[in-house]
Order: sequence, then structure tokens, then C-alpha cells
Amino acid sequence: MTPRDVVVTGVGCLGPWGLGLPALAAALRQGRALASPIDRSAGYHRPDAATQVAACGPLDLSPWLSPQAARRMSDLSQYAVAAARMALADAGLAAVPADRTAVALATAFGPGGFTEQLARQILDKGGKAASPFLFTDCVANAAAGQIAIDLGARGPNTTICQREAGPLLALQQGAFDVASGRADVCLAGAVDEMKPLSHAILDRFRALVRPDGQGELPRPFDRRRRGVLAGEGATVLVLESEASARARGARVLARVGPTARGFDPTAGRASFGHDAGGLAALLRTRLGRLLPEVGAVVSTAAGARQGDALEAAVLRRTFAALPPVLVPKAVHGEYGGGTLATALLALAGSDFARPAGCTEPDPDLGVVPASGRVQAARVLCSALAAGGAAAWSILEIP
Amino acid sequence: MTVAPVVVTGLGAVCGLGVGVETVWQGALAGRAAVAPLRLFPTATHRTTLAAAVPDDAVLAAGRGWSRAERFACTAAAEAVRDLPAAVRQGARTGVFFGSSTGALFEAERFLAAILHGHEGRLRPLAAQQNDGPGSAVARHLGVRGPVATWSTACTSANVALGAALDALRAGEVDVAIAGGADELCETTYAGFNSLRAVDPQPTRPFRRTRAGLSLGEGAGVLLLETAAHARARGARVLCELAGAGRSCDAHHVSAPDPEGRGAAAAIRTALAEAGLEPAAVTFVNAHGTGTPHNDDSEAKALHAVFGARAAAIPVTSSKSLIGHLLGAAGGIEAVFTALSIVHRLVPPLAGSEPADPELGLDVVLGAPRPLPLANVGLSTNLAFGGNNAVVLLRSWQP
Repeated sequence: MTPRDVVVTGVGCLGPWGLGLPALAAALRQGRALASPIDRSAGYHRPDAATQVAACGPLDLSPWLSPQAARRMSDLSQYAVAAARMALADAGLAAVPADRTAVALATAFGPGGFTEQLARQILDKGGKAASPFLFTDCVANAAAGQIAIDLGARGPNTTICQREAGPLLALQQGAFDVASGRADVCLAGAVDEMKPLSHAILDRFRALVRPDGQGELPRPFDRRRRGVLAGEGATVLVLESEASARARGARVLARVGPTARGFDPTAGRASFGHDAGGLAALLRTRLGRLLPEVGAVVSTAAGARQGDALEAAVLRRTFAALPPVLVPKAVHGEYGGGTLATALLALAGSDFARPAGCTEPDPDLGVVPASGRVQAARVLCSALAAGGAAAWSILEIP
Repeated sequence: MTVAPVVVTGLGAVCGLGVGVETVWQGALAGRAAVAPLRLFPTATHRTTLAAAVPDDAVLAAGRGWSRAERFACTAAAEAVRDLPAAVRQGARTGVFFGSSTGALFEAERFLAAILHGHEGRLRPLAAQQNDGPGSAVARHLGVRGPVATWSTACTSANVALGAALDALRAGEVDVAIAGGADELCETTYAGFNSLRAVDPQPTRPFRRTRAGLSLGEGAGVLLLETAAHARARGARVLCELAGAGRSCDAHHVSAPDPEGRGAAAAIRTALAEAGLEPAAVTFVNAHGTGTPHNDDSEAKALHAVFGARAAAIPVTSSKSLIGHLLGAAGGIEAVFTALSIVHRLVPPLAGSEPADPELGLDVVLGAPRPLPLANVGLSTNLAFGGNNAVVLLRSWQP
């Protein structure tokens, strides 16, 4: 069997920018970090902890999700189901072929809010107090399962948890399931929710930018970077075989190109490693032929001290001349899959402001975030994860 | 379509029966149930006080402050790759494909109990809490540089990971894959399954008429997978072939399986089709067999749907009768059992002497190990929350 070409025919996204791709484009055009105060009333945070989060805020999901259905779901599942429904509408698919529709989702932390409630029941009141409803919707794959139930999608259903590398690994899994003929349609993407407890824990690991007298901003590739802005949201793409998309006259947003996956064993459990040479060699081996034609990079950089340094070193070793490098996490924060949606904007052509936190590029890194009009026929998406995992995908105009 | 065969060249096991493949296998052949009173945390208020805990931490590969799941995973992985040259292990064409559903939740609960009450907790064990904790620990421990990912689909996690490893090997992305899963017992899953009344107050009794739920377990099962060409080139001993994998979703209910087993049947059919095998080729089944009334009933219906009248004549076992339910690691340890059944041509029995539930219409292996013919195809099934189904097929290696 020859693998089938896989294309993106729809996108649904929601996050701190609001609902949909145009809202994300507008936020990236402005470049302001979409930060708001995190609720510290539960007392999880240390006095000097991060105060900001890139939160979704109140979103009207009723066009995609009935209030009755929403009541039975965690925020995470609600985001995922709404993004999936939005993506199908964007793709012009009124219904999906039940046995031939797959789901491939990534989540770094799963349903943090439900998990916290369940932990409180068990650890405060004893195991007998555990709610079966919370328990069953606390599994990492609950959101992917809820998409399947909502759509009647009975194809392969996968959830990947690999921290910041998850969104690209899920895209790759979904594309493989379509390319191999296991599914004709796949809803692929990423979802996360950022509740005070998860936020406080990330802060304990010094992953987040803390109050620094300079705006507490995420500053990818910047001299002053001190940590990431924790975020949340969902991005779901509709993947189809190119042949069937063309046959139904679907608008094609992108073709899913070749991919690479690797690992940096010099990483610690909660930190980034330093083997840029190894990662760059792997990237060149897998994607080298295509790299000269890459017109833009959607970078994993989010403002992490070592994470950004590793990303910069990998990019500099990979490209003789760097294409424009976009850093959307400076705007929408880490987690929630907004980078996948940003890649589609770069392919379609969109304006990007220099993010507010990125005004003093770190000369040691040698990467300056792009600004202005970016329109590329081929985009490289990168994802480096704390703990060591790495993934790259090419998205291109067919 | 001809696809490059993928073979199993190493196994690693940690579970309630002990540490190491040989110890575990001897326990399994003896039909010894590792389900016993649990001492890891208080259980007195629950429906059950039992579980199959890993008995001896001292023999596990240990690192300072490692979580139990990390130690299970790294111990099993180290055993599986024992004969793999370090240069291959640390090259970019070796990957780790792992499943886990709880990460290091047992250790994280200590931290959560502190932070929920406004105290500081010990941060170090929490770093391993995420679901990718065990798989990423294996990759760092063994110095892997190829693809590393963790699938977390509740009780099918490790089977999904095995299928993903098979994909990567067949697609030529890697030559070698370290694949399986690890999970540890913790209060959250213990309380959760108790709250669902899905646990048996007695040791679990899969496929019995009196079955009343599952027993929880913990541990890790890891397979070393290679393309047959790579195994041949390095002169590796081949144990069996990983012939196929299949996944599906019930799209029916978040926690209850489709009562007719349609999703499970679809996953089995997919695996058979991808392996190029007819249902008639399957010679034994290592079933999900949790021992809950609904699971065993639904799974039996799936087997009847795929195998027809022959379903009553295929030996069926459930490793969970001996080692409990390892949740995200179940597919890993059960694939190890399935591979060992092919190597030794024996299917381990279920624990206990109660006869099988006649209403299920299955040939459940009881009393003593069941001898197998010369050439075998073993089916290992897992079903999960989220309506998730994932199965793998292993068969005797015929170069």
C-alpha cells in the first residue's frame, strides 16, 4: 500500500484569544501577551509565585456544545469537543463516517480541575468520598473519548501525553492513521486547561515567569527571558486524505508533510537538555531535503531559559540562513496547541507583531522573532519538551 | 501488501508475581495469584482491601527519589534490552513507545495532600508525576535518541503504544523499539475503582459466574521490538513476531463498554487484517478479562462475533487473575505473557478452582497450563475508559 497524502481541511481553535482562527490571527497581529491574573485564593501559590495565566475566560461554546452535554464534562472535554465541532464546520463536513473517523489528541496535564476536586475528596475526606463521575472523566483520554461519543467516531482513538511535544506527536499520529488508510477523517490536535493548582505546581518547578518588575512577560529568545506564561485552550484540525478532500471539493488549508521525532537524554525530569547537536542531526537526517524550502518556523520557544537556548541552537545548526521564526507562545502562552493554528496562519499569510516581551533578542541565541507579513509555502513546526522529547512537522501548501 | 516483519527479541517484567521474566513466568504457570492485602496506603474503608503490589522494591533499578512507576519501567526495560548493544540503544534509530495512565500519582498524592492544606510538599518526586514520566525515564535511563512518546488511553495505553511502535518500525523510522507500559498503585485509582464498585472484595475472578469486579495491580511490561532484518543482522535471538495491532472506539459511554462488544470486535478484525491473518489462525487469547461482569460479558461477545463457533474452542486466559489490573501497563505485561506463551507453547491458567461461567461460551484455561500446538498466533486484548479498544497479535516466528 502506498501511504496516502494527508491534508488539513478544517481548523477549530479556542484559547485566551477567544474563539476561532481569525481571533487568534488578530491577537498575533497585536503581539500583546494574553495574560490575566491567576486565582490565588486557594492558597496554593507561594508569595513570590507567578501571578499571570493565559486563560480562556468565559467562552460561549453553545454553538458547538449543548448546556446539558457541557454539564457532564470537564472544561478540558468541553474545549476539545467544541474545537472538534468548530473544525468540522470549518471543513464543511456535516457528518463524519463513523467507522472511518479517528481522533488523535494531546494533553499535557489532562483535566486539572476535575483531578483537583477528586484529590480533595480522597485526600481530605478519605477514599470513600471519591466521585465515580469525576474519576471516569479524570483519565487523560476522556476528552478524546468525549469527541468520539459526540461525533459517533468509532475509528482509532488516541491520546498522547508528552508535555510540550504532544501537539505535534498527536498531529503525526492522526496523519499516520489517515495516510495508512485506517481512517478517512481524523480530528487531531491538542487541548489543555490551566487551573490554579497546575499553575502553582508549574511555578514550584520554576517553569513560569514570575513578577520581575518588567511586566511578568513571556520573552521567547529574549535576553531577559525568565520562564513561560502558562496557558490553555484547544486546537483541533480536520485531516483527510488529499484524494477524498479533492473529490468532495473541500478547501485545502495545508498538506501534512514529513515529520521527525527524537529525544535528548541529557534532559532532566522537569528540565530541557543541551544536546542540540544530536537533535539537529536527527532533524537534518529526517527532513534535510526539505529544509532549504522552509519559508517559516513556528517555534516551540516560550520564554524558558534553557528550552529557548536549546531551540535556538537546534535551529541555527539546522538552517544555514534562518527563515522567519514565529513565537506565538509569547502571545497565547504554553499548552493548548495554538502553535498548530499559527502554522496555518503562516501558510495562508498573516501579519505578526513583534511580541511585547521580545524587544531585546538574546545575542547568545542568535534568533530574532519575526514580525510583519509572513506567508510561507512550507512551514516547519518545532516542539521541544521538558523531560527530553522532541518533534517536528512540516505543513505545506499542496 | 508486504510489510517488513517485526520481531520480539527481548522481554522485561515487573508485577505482583515478582521481578524478572523467569520469576513472573514460573508464578504464572503455577496459577499463583499475587492479589493480597495492600499495605501501601490505608484501604480499610473500601469495598476491597486487596491488590497485587510489586513485592520487593530492593531489587529494582533505583535512582534517588525515583517514583515506583519509574523504577518498574526502568527495571523491565533494562531486562528487555539486556542483549542489545549500547551503540544501537543510544542511536537515533531506537525509540521508546510507552503507555501509562497514572505516571507517578502515588508520590504526587503525598505532595497534593500537603499543598491542598497549604503546606510545602517534597517537589522531587512530583517531577515524575506526568503520564510520560515512566516512558521518558526509560529513554533517559537507556540514553535513547530516537522517537519517544507516551500514549495515555487509560487501560489500553500500552497496547496503543505497542501498535505505535509497530507503525514506526514498519515505516522505517526506527530499527529498534522499546515498547510497553508502567503504572503504580495509588489512592486515586484505588478509590476511583472502589467508587465505581468495579472491584471485587475477593481476589478477582475473571470469566467466572460469581465474578464481581477487578483487583488492581501495578508493575511494568516491556518488549524489545526490531525489524526482522535488524535482528538477523545482529544475530539476535527471536522470541516471536509482533504481527499486527488494531484500535477502535466504542463511542458509546465514558466508562462502560459497548454491551455487544462491537468496538472490541472491530479492533480485533483490524489487527487480523493488518497482520494478513484469518480469524481461524488465532490459537489462544490473553483477554482483557478484568473480572467485572460487564467487561467479561462484552468481551466474550466480541470474541464470538469475530471467531464464530470456534470461539468456544480457543483457549482463553486472563493475566489479571494472577497479577491484577495494571491499568496503563496492562497491555505491556500481557503482551509479555502472550510472547512467553508462544515461546514455551503454554497458556497459564487462571487462579482458583471455580469453573468458568458457561454463559460466556469460552474455553477458559483453568487448573493447569494449557499446551499449545507448534505454531501459534496469540491475541492480547485491552478495553478502556473512553470506549477505547486496542489489541495486538503475536505469532510464532517463521523466518
